[in-house]
Amino acid sequence: MITIQSALTGLLLGGLYALMAAGVSVTWGVLRIINLAHFGMILISAYLTFQLASDWGLDPILTLAVTVPAMFVAGGALQWAYDRLGISELNSLLASFGLLIVIVQLVSNVWSADFQRMSAAVNPYATASVGIGRLVFPVTTLLAFLVAVAFIAAAELVLRRTFAGRALRAFAEDRTIASAFGIDHRRLGIVLGGLSGATAAVAGMLFALANALTPATAFEWFGIVFAVVILGGIGHLTGTLAAGLLVGALSGVVSVLLSPAAAPFVLFTAIVLALLLRPRGLFVRAAQ
Amino acid sequence: MMARGLVGIGLAVAALSTLSLYRETLGFPIAYLALLTTALFWVTQATSWNILSGYSGYFSFGQAAYVGVGAYTTAVLFGRHEWNFYLTVLIAAGLCAVLALGMGLLAFRLRSLRGEIFALLTLAVPFILAALARINGSIDGGQGIIVAIPDFPAALGRFQDFLYLITLLVAGIAVAVAFVMAHSRSGWALASIRDAEDVAEALGVATFRHKLWALVASAVIGGVGGSVFALQIGFVTVDSVFSLTVPLFVIVMSVLGGRTHWFGPVLGAVLVVLLQDRLSAMALLGWQPVILGAVLIVMILVAPEGLYVRVRNLWPRSRGSKTPPADLSEVDEQLSVVDDSVLVECRDLSKHFGGVRAVEGLSLQIRAGELVGLVGPNGSGKTTLVNLLAGSLRPTRGSIHIAGRDTTGLPPHRIAHVGVARTYQIPRPFASMTVRDNVAMAVLFGREPRRLAHARRLAAGHLAMVGLDHLGDAYPSALNLHQRQLLEMARALATSPKLLLLDEALAGLNPAEIDNAVEVVRRIHASGVCVVIVEHLLRVVRALATRVVVLDRGSCLADGDPETVLSDPAVVRAYLGKRAHA
Amino acid sequence: MRRRGSAVVATVLLLAITACESKSESDGEGAPAASTEPIVVGSTLSLSGAFAATGAIHKIAGEQFVARLNAKGGLLGRQVQWVVRDDESDQAKVSTLYEQLISQERVDLIIGPYATPNILSAMAVAQRHGYTMPHHTSVLAPLMTYECQFPGWSIGPKPNEFVPNQLFDAVASLPNPPKKVAILTNQNGSTDFVSYGSQSDQTGAVSIAKQRGLTVAPEIRYPPSTTDWAPLAAQVRDAAPDLVINHGLGVDPVNLLQAMAQLGYKPPLMFSLFPAPGPPLGLGPAAEGLLSVTIFEPNKSTLDKLGKEATEIVEEFKTRATDAKLPYTVFETQAAASWTAWEILVAAVERSGGLDQKAMCDKLHSDGADTTFNGHLDFDPAVHNFWRTTQQIKQIQSKDWVTVWPADRAAAKLQGPPAA
Repeated sequence: MITIQSALTGLLLGGLYALMAAGVSVTWGVLRIINLAHFGMILISAYLTFQLASDWGLDPILTLAVTVPAMFVAGGALQWAYDRLGISELNSLLASFGLLIVIVQLVSNVWSADFQRMSAAVNPYATASVGIGRLVFPVTTLLAFLVAVAFIAAAELVLRRTFAGRALRAFAEDRTIASAFGIDHRRLGIVLGGLSGATAAVAGMLFALANALTPATAFEWFGIVFAVVILGGIGHLTGTLAAGLLVGALSGVVSVLLSPAAAPFVLFTAIVLALLLRPRGLFVRAAQ
Repeated sequence: MMARGLVGIGLAVAALSTLSLYRETLGFPIAYLALLTTALFWVTQATSWNILSGYSGYFSFGQAAYVGVGAYTTAVLFGRHEWNFYLTVLIAAGLCAVLALGMGLLAFRLRSLRGEIFALLTLAVPFILAALARINGSIDGGQGIIVAIPDFPAALGRFQDFLYLITLLVAGIAVAVAFVMAHSRSGWALASIRDAEDVAEALGVATFRHKLWALVASAVIGGVGGSVFALQIGFVTVDSVFSLTVPLFVIVMSVLGGRTHWFGPVLGAVLVVLLQDRLSAMALLGWQPVILGAVLIVMILVAPEGLYVRVRNLWPRSRGSKTPPADLSEVDEQLSVVDDSVLVECRDLSKHFGGVRAVEGLSLQIRAGELVGLVGPNGSGKTTLVNLLAGSLRPTRGSIHIAGRDTTGLPPHRIAHVGVARTYQIPRPFASMTVRDNVAMAVLFGREPRRLAHARRLAAGHLAMVGLDHLGDAYPSALNLHQRQLLEMARALATSPKLLLLDEALAGLNPAEIDNAVEVVRRIHASGVCVVIVEHLLRVVRALATRVVVLDRGSCLADGDPETVLSDPAVVRAYLGKRAHA
Repeated sequence: MRRRGSAVVATVLLLAITACESKSESDGEGAPAASTEPIVVGSTLSLSGAFAATGAIHKIAGEQFVARLNAKGGLLGRQVQWVVRDDESDQAKVSTLYEQLISQERVDLIIGPYATPNILSAMAVAQRHGYTMPHHTSVLAPLMTYECQFPGWSIGPKPNEFVPNQLFDAVASLPNPPKKVAILTNQNGSTDFVSYGSQSDQTGAVSIAKQRGLTVAPEIRYPPSTTDWAPLAAQVRDAAPDLVINHGLGVDPVNLLQAMAQLGYKPPLMFSLFPAPGPPLGLGPAAEGLLSVTIFEPNKSTLDKLGKEATEIVEEFKTRATDAKLPYTVFETQAAASWTAWEILVAAVERSGGLDQKAMCDKLHSDGADTTFNGHLDFDPAVHNFWRTTQQIKQIQSKDWVTVWPADRAAAKLQGPPAA
């Protein structure tokens, strides 16, 4: 029973990982930008959620009305800058790492390095949960899960069914061909950067719902998020979702059956094995 | 060149060592020694990273694994069990070598290994090792380990002197290894892997072996550095040695300095450490990382190829660009007598991709003196056959013998050494090398390897053969499509092949260029090389081929002299007819 | 020609190296500065990186202390200047920066950084230079082997025995003492040490609980990087212990309590070793009754006992912390430890009447130090200068931390679980 419960909560938490990873995956896969500053956007969104909810007494979920547009603009602007400066895939990793260092320190200067947490008064979601029999679905991670599934399903629909989506996929395959079909890759890149910024806003809000914030958290996300991105297949949203859920559930189960200390060991060993057996990403079909 | 460079590195180490040995006479502050120790630790780590990731392009996020294994080896054996410190350094080196061999054997055996996958594999390793250290109480168990000060000759002075000198020694060795690798065959091999790995393999570079040794060298250096780092921090915890900041900083330093050159990481590491030091001395509390991050961004924008390249370009040197005299002797030596022996023998060859049968039950003999035109409609299996012959693909069934040797399933570089060379439909030169070195590269690793100077002379000869001798000092990016295709041929020739596979080497050329290319192919054939050319233009096939093989749906449809085959009704129906009515 | 030239240079260098000067062991510290110059105290703090959350508190406390000291005329009639560097929570930087502060900037005095690994790195440098180093918060007493390091926060020489025993004594005083305890341990140096002891002395909360006849279930060790708390919470819920002992750090107890609350469970009694004090208060009813340790809580009764100055310090700290945008502005354990470390440094200088490091160290060993929040301290090198502890147990009662144990110094009464 504990094992099932842990697998379930882990699975739901995996939704948050997937949501954090989605933006990184898309910009990397389609735009060839490894954007570490994405973690900075998640961090800022989380702090904004905290600030707006604590100061204005806004419901933390409603803060999205502010953070999503803000991060859309930030993400789009960032992509515009990468494009204008002609930054290569590798250098984007470094430049955005520099940017992330700057962001983390600025956050620390604004909100202090000490733990910030929404109090129970403004954040009723932290300890709330939905129960079915003995099984419990914590509201914070249930939200993350639902948002991740809804978002990624919607994105896949757009990619498959609309012209813009097909254009995007063509663009990811081959830039020159895409431009021959009249796709303005600049505008496309900015929109995509903006959308991934928007996911950062949502992920930040969801993180703030359940966690105390401290600026250094941004660096702690690296390991798990990159594992999810690559395991799912770079640029493959459904794969990212599946990888996130799998990673979450697996570490939940291992924590119970062995020990929490063994969870990273089993998890990353499993990832290594998965990559050796399915080197293109766990959920990407071999033929490509 | 190499000897002088090594003496230079030795001198630099000696000069730096006087800072400690004559510290009091020179009045050199011991605090700067501590700072230099930190800088040298990062020089070692960045160099270690660069040997694999900079040279070969396989990005590693696993630097912390070596630092961690090294530090924990020393911490556990010396710190806790009081073994001899120097012995623990050796053990650390051994453990890292074993770790790297394990990683390399697993990762580099993957046929479809891509850079991202390797990056994630290396990202995972430190996490696994860190968790292992946490779980296992006899390694760490969670509390960290104190590392005392080892015995060292009293004449060296203080512990800081000792630490500085030993770190300097390790860094010196690391840089020397990186230097030697850069200037040896292994450096050429790794650079060609970075530029175009499967091309390198097909030219005869044993890519697997070179990658594996680079990984091992990188790991051993990283581990020894980590082992000494344990003394520097004095207290080893999982968080301090397995942290993700290690690989991130190492990457920043190497790329900032210039990752394709041995000196880049040295420059990057020293620069970043000094920058951090100056920033913290300015006591800009709360702004120090902001400035560091901003400087990082600016430097990436100013010098995207690395500062070393940027600085070097400021002083344009004429880099001794005397064109070496072309050495045509060996090129012309070849017999131009028609050789009738069987060179290639395919028996019942099949290649399936999932349900698609690209080649099915093909049996084919090619004689040494022939120039075979391989034709057929799209998807008939021409390129697949070329890939099978060159070893880029393994047959599902059947066997291939070339020059009397069974080459079925051999890795491409071994097949290259048997005497098979190929070109690609889309030319893939080594972008970081000059045109001449692209060709010299093939001599270096070809069937009859030569020393570099000799290889460059031979290369000039091969370039003359295809008419590119005037472009030897140019970089491939300056060449047009036709010239690139000629370069492909010169490079293939440089391996001194018995069999040359030309995969649509004339695609996309204008009529004048085609005529020139046809002439070059004829010249190559006349020099005694058996040529198989995949070509759509029947005019070319008619003009060149001594024999035509028509493939259709993976099987041989017709085979014989060009006139007969190309007027065969079956061929016309399957191939020409379709075309004519299309 | 050129090659020969470099060979000659190489030979000369080699000879020079083998000759090598003989170094005198004297430190060559500069002549004492003129008495009008300020006395410079050097240290690093983790102002960014993993330890920054607490580093910020020590910075404010230190600045406040120095300002007050100068306002009262400084040290030995000279003003005091504090040079603080950001070590970015990086041990390697800590050693380099202390080396610089001592031998390059020639600071007159040093004080320790924050967090045990950093303190150990700094201690090694201090030891090499023979500097006296008071420090704020280090729990791993067995590792603090340098005789001139002086802790500002002491859980006695054996925290691995003291902490569990104090806790078990406290809860044994309840009408229904717990019989079954869960022990959840963060695998971080100091917390793991309290649960399991060290390599040489494997006494800890787990062994002591068993000795006292308590059932331990579940017993879990988790890595500092834990993000998923539900598996721990679920195991605790199903074992239904009477007391949950969380030897954790930072926001661990908040995450645990929250995960348990999501599962619809609240442990009857929970203890947390080194939490960040603010976040549990924000958790509301889920954290009510939580136990922890403290060396100082500014409860009214305590402040009344300590007098006017203590109250002033506490209030001024609140103002400064608010200005620095700290979320939790109460002057408590971390700030008090910082204050005590500074007072030890001042005592060393004043009692030895100068800035000689050796004399300062000796004077502290012979005379001890007087402190505002911990009274008179005696330092015995045999137990690594870890003085008799003043550590107490505190509890969240009506949304505020109050000291509840030992009973004679407590501001309120220890509350057990509400009767079922």
